Amino acid sequence: MIATDTFAKFGRRMASTQGFPYIVIAETKNPIRELDFDALRARVEAMLPTIIDGLTLKPGEIERRSRDMAKEQIRPRGIVRSSIPV
Amino acid sequence: MTRPYMDIEAASVAELITCAFEHAYDQGWTDGAPIIPATHESVAQFVQASGRDGNEIIGVLPPRKGPATVEAIAVNAIMAGCRPEYMPVIIAAVEALSDPRFPLEPLQIGTNAMAPFLLVNGPVRGKLDINCGIGCLGPGWRANTTIGRAMRLILLNVGGALPGVYSKSSFSSPLRYSYMCGENEEENPWTPFHVDRGFKREDSTVTVFRAFNFCNISGGDGVGADETLRQIATSMPPMFGGGGVLLLLGVNHVHSLYEEGLSKRDIQQRLWELARLPASYFPKAFVATARAAGRGDAETVWRSGGPDEICVVVAGGPGPQDVYIAAGMPQTRIIRGI
Repeated sequence: MIATDTFAKFGRRMASTQGFPYIVIAETKNPIRELDFDALRARVEAMLPTIIDGLTLKPGEIERRSRDMAKEQIRPRGIVRSSIPV
Repeated sequence: MTRPYMDIEAASVAELITCAFEHAYDQGWTDGAPIIPATHESVAQFVQASGRDGNEIIGVLPPRKGPATVEAIAVNAIMAGCRPEYMPVIIAAVEALSDPRFPLEPLQIGTNAMAPFLLVNGPVRGKLDINCGIGCLGPGWRANTTIGRAMRLILLNVGGALPGVYSKSSFSSPLRYSYMCGENEEENPWTPFHVDRGFKREDSTVTVFRAFNFCNISGGDGVGADETLRQIATSMPPMFGGGGVLLLLGVNHVHSLYEEGLSKRDIQQRLWELARLPASYFPKAFVATARAAGRGDAETVWRSGGPDEICVVVAGGPGPQDVYIAAGMPQTRIIRGI
């Protein structure tokens, strides 16, 4: 999954509802709408290692790397509502 | 199956109620307003009133894919302040919300502020005192307030639409506290909404709409049918998010339009023709989207793609008022067991 940081945790939450809690997420800073071609390309290149990981690592290794982080992102401790992005 | 009940001790009833509310709020179970704590006894009473088994799954609600069992519905109905006899209405509404044709997931997680709107038809309105007349969309009627609120708590607690965590609605909406009424069938000279949808007049039904807004339309009395409909249509501009319209036609306009010989179909047709604006009023992207969806021609953009997308329902009390709700994708279910 490719997402901006504002929506990355939410993206993982939604992926978890579809059975993919350990999905690899390539993140970049929000927003991207106003970026010109060169700036956008730089963002993409910065995400390439994560994208390659997602396409090449074995599922067990992806899960091992992201298990703790995914758990916290999907069910952030102590948060039942929030007026700021979580 | 183990049930997550807990004991709360307090020195007085007032303290007990306060403690229960504070606990529920801390757990994220409420809409922010106080709740009635559910007990073993009250849950059993509500399940019994439903005429169903407590473990029966009525629907699976996104985003968490939470199973809306009769028991879970009962707990939320109790918290919302419902009476046990409201359970069949809430169950039918959950059935409608769970229909795969109803876009519940976007309502639950999107940045928009859509909310379900519930319309109740048939004898159940009288039996449960569901208001369909004066003030039917406002405060004062327990059934309207608490059934609508129970739906919100179910979407929150079973569906898991925690505000800001799973629900990303940028502003959300006051319509998400409770949004429902009955049709004022007694003042309807035409056929009621549920009969238009193929049900019998003596059936009790609930219809769930995907709703965007609330818009009260004032005026247009004693000016003739065409001017009245023009007044209504000018409050229904083309908009993003689809072509559906729910028009709650007020009693004054119902009577005057009927006396001038208009059928419900005539009203739908005329509103469809009138609710249009020049394409030059809108951004190009919007015009392109509307045209692609069949809601526009070379010069104009239309509020809806055809007369059938304009649902006309009679509601409210006397006065030159109507309510326009940008609402579509209706799902209707029979309310059983009243």
